[in-house]
Amino acid sequence: MGMAQYISARIVYAVVVSMIIVTASFLLLYFSPNPNIQAAAQQAALGGENPEEAVERVKEARGLNDPIHVQYMQFVENVYTLDWGWSETRSEPVTDAIVSSFKYTAQYSVPWTVLSVLIAPTLGIYSASRMYTWKDHLATGFAFFGYAIPNFFFAILLVLVFGVWFEIFPITYDTTVPILSLENAWQLVLPVFVLVTGSIGGTMRVARNESAEFMNADFMKTAKAKGVKPTRRYTHHVLRPTLVPLSTSLVSALFALFVGASVLVEEVFAIPGLGRLLVQSIISQDTSLVLGTTLVFTFVGVVGNLVEDLVFTMIDPRISYDDR
Amino acid sequence: MATEQPDTFDEVNWESVRSSSGIVNLALKTKLMLITTLPLLALWLYDRVAVGQREKTFVQLGKDLGLSGPFETLGLTWNPAGLDYIFIFTIFLFAFYMILPLYENPRMTRYYWKEFKRNRPAVVSLVWLAFVFVVGIIGPLFIDKPEPDILKSFQPPVYATVDTANIVQCVGEASGGTCQGTWQHPLGTTGSGRDVLAFMVHGTTITMKIAFITTLIVALIGISVGTISAYSGGWVDETLMRMTDIVLAFPTLIFFLMITYIYGASLGLFIVIFATFAWGGAARYIRSKALSVAEEEFIDATRISGASRYRVVRRHIVPNTASSIITNLTLLVPGFLLAEAQLSFLGLGDAGLLSWGQLIASGRSSLEYAPWIILAPGFILFFTILAFNFLGDALLDALNPEAESEAEK
Repeated sequence: MGMAQYISARIVYAVVVSMIIVTASFLLLYFSPNPNIQAAAQQAALGGENPEEAVERVKEARGLNDPIHVQYMQFVENVYTLDWGWSETRSEPVTDAIVSSFKYTAQYSVPWTVLSVLIAPTLGIYSASRMYTWKDHLATGFAFFGYAIPNFFFAILLVLVFGVWFEIFPITYDTTVPILSLENAWQLVLPVFVLVTGSIGGTMRVARNESAEFMNADFMKTAKAKGVKPTRRYTHHVLRPTLVPLSTSLVSALFALFVGASVLVEEVFAIPGLGRLLVQSIISQDTSLVLGTTLVFTFVGVVGNLVEDLVFTMIDPRISYDDR
Repeated sequence: MATEQPDTFDEVNWESVRSSSGIVNLALKTKLMLITTLPLLALWLYDRVAVGQREKTFVQLGKDLGLSGPFETLGLTWNPAGLDYIFIFTIFLFAFYMILPLYENPRMTRYYWKEFKRNRPAVVSLVWLAFVFVVGIIGPLFIDKPEPDILKSFQPPVYATVDTANIVQCVGEASGGTCQGTWQHPLGTTGSGRDVLAFMVHGTTITMKIAFITTLIVALIGISVGTISAYSGGWVDETLMRMTDIVLAFPTLIFFLMITYIYGASLGLFIVIFATFAWGGAARYIRSKALSVAEEEFIDATRISGASRYRVVRRHIVPNTASSIITNLTLLVPGFLLAEAQLSFLGLGDAGLLSWGQLIASGRSSLEYAPWIILAPGFILFFTILAFNFLGDALLDALNPEAESEAEK
């Protein structure tokens, strides 16, 4: 199998996975009680009407009496044409709600991603170049700490220490300040710090262990003998082979955190981003919004896996596509 | 993992080898497992059939057996739920298939211990996890469930103080507008007046339940899929691995949020959902390990000797992949503990559950004046997750001699 074929197979596969997830969501919703119907029945009962008639009316209006495959096709079509319905609690289309919250998610996700990509390999190679010195142990200890401490607990600790006790940083996120202002950057310091610590932990370990392999490789000795400066040796000779395993680990760590931890970090710092939107929609029982936000996160996950595989194939020319 | 080899070949007692391969002479662990599981199963059936929804199992059992008196003096009013049975079953499995073999093979145990001991953080981790295990198993027997008591809300821990403006009543000494903590509540109380220490002890049991039951489910599915896939090959392998890919790509947390939205949260649901979507990594790992084992010549030898496919997999492939399985599972557990805490923190867990996550969640709104509610369980959770990670790393070194060991370099 050639590389082009491999990539197209991967993309087809991603589409299949997304279909499976959409189908699973549909089945879940299909077999669960619909809060809209219950609300209609309740209203009818309160207004002295026949609740069963009201239920029938709502079912008819929403097309719930159609056979399952018709409903399914309609559902799939709506999902892929971004017709995700109306959010009752926010009184706007679901897509609008998602776009407006995404603005806030992006504000901390971009700096966090850039910082992680820069810091993790640097720290890992630095650690490997000074293996088993106290500097290495310090870096490794930091990595383990960042990896093991629950992100949300770390966020709470930071809020407690720097927000409540020392009052250096604001406790809650202020949406009124302009995006490109110093105050905005200042209030994003803690969330970004928490996420960077969380994401570089595992990646830095990978970078350290992988680059350690090349530190004493023959080509490094040659480079050294030829008088190549240490920095250049690390950036040109060690970093490149290290990037192959590192990229997958980094991409997957970033996506895992985006889907998992960002929800919690947003919740702790009260950032009105996507994660908070999802939690709020679940608590306020807003079905369309729950579905819309979960779909965004699942699609991000699927695309993340795809990107991970593609990055892998592009960086490493040695991989054979014959067996996966 | 543990191979039953004597020190030298000529010391092999062939009599014992022959007798242990009989059908009637089951291995000691199997016997013990049967002896303990059968009563458990009987109790479970009894619970399902004879005990009503609102009655407590052991109170009812006491009545039926005419032993109400002795049961009462022993304080046996326990009412186990479905999860408790599975939990006890997993503990038996753990005791007879992990601990007992280690005891039966002192030579290998000594060797593992020697390798393991080099990694000091891992030894500390093991001690910590053993402590958590013991507290989780026997703690609830001695410490009652913390009951809410609104008059005792926000009592500070010992040696700490809280502003009296924030509390209803002070259990300890109140002087100059601050309330002193007392030994009555060594770690303080929550906003609803529950004792933090007692809450944490009961939370430990929940933690152990999550750790053990998910491990059992993940191990069962992971081992089956991994070994079957490796040993069968062909389209079976292809299908199973594609399934694994999907499971790996599945955003479990988000999916669980949706299920919670529709059906409401419960610990059982949490365990089932997370375990059924977590075996992907284990299956892949075990498959690759099993593939390399299946190439070995002793597998061919076994097959030529007429061993069935099941026997080859069960007796030769699975034991030889055990080290990968154990390491992988140890590194999986902290993820589950974290997920539970995170969900509770978001207010999407089972609010009636006495878990660490719920305790952290309950202290959220009062962080400014009552940080102890979050700090105590938060640090315990952190240490436990850290311990599992250290332990997993050390097991990787000790059980897998080929793996690069960091401690040895």
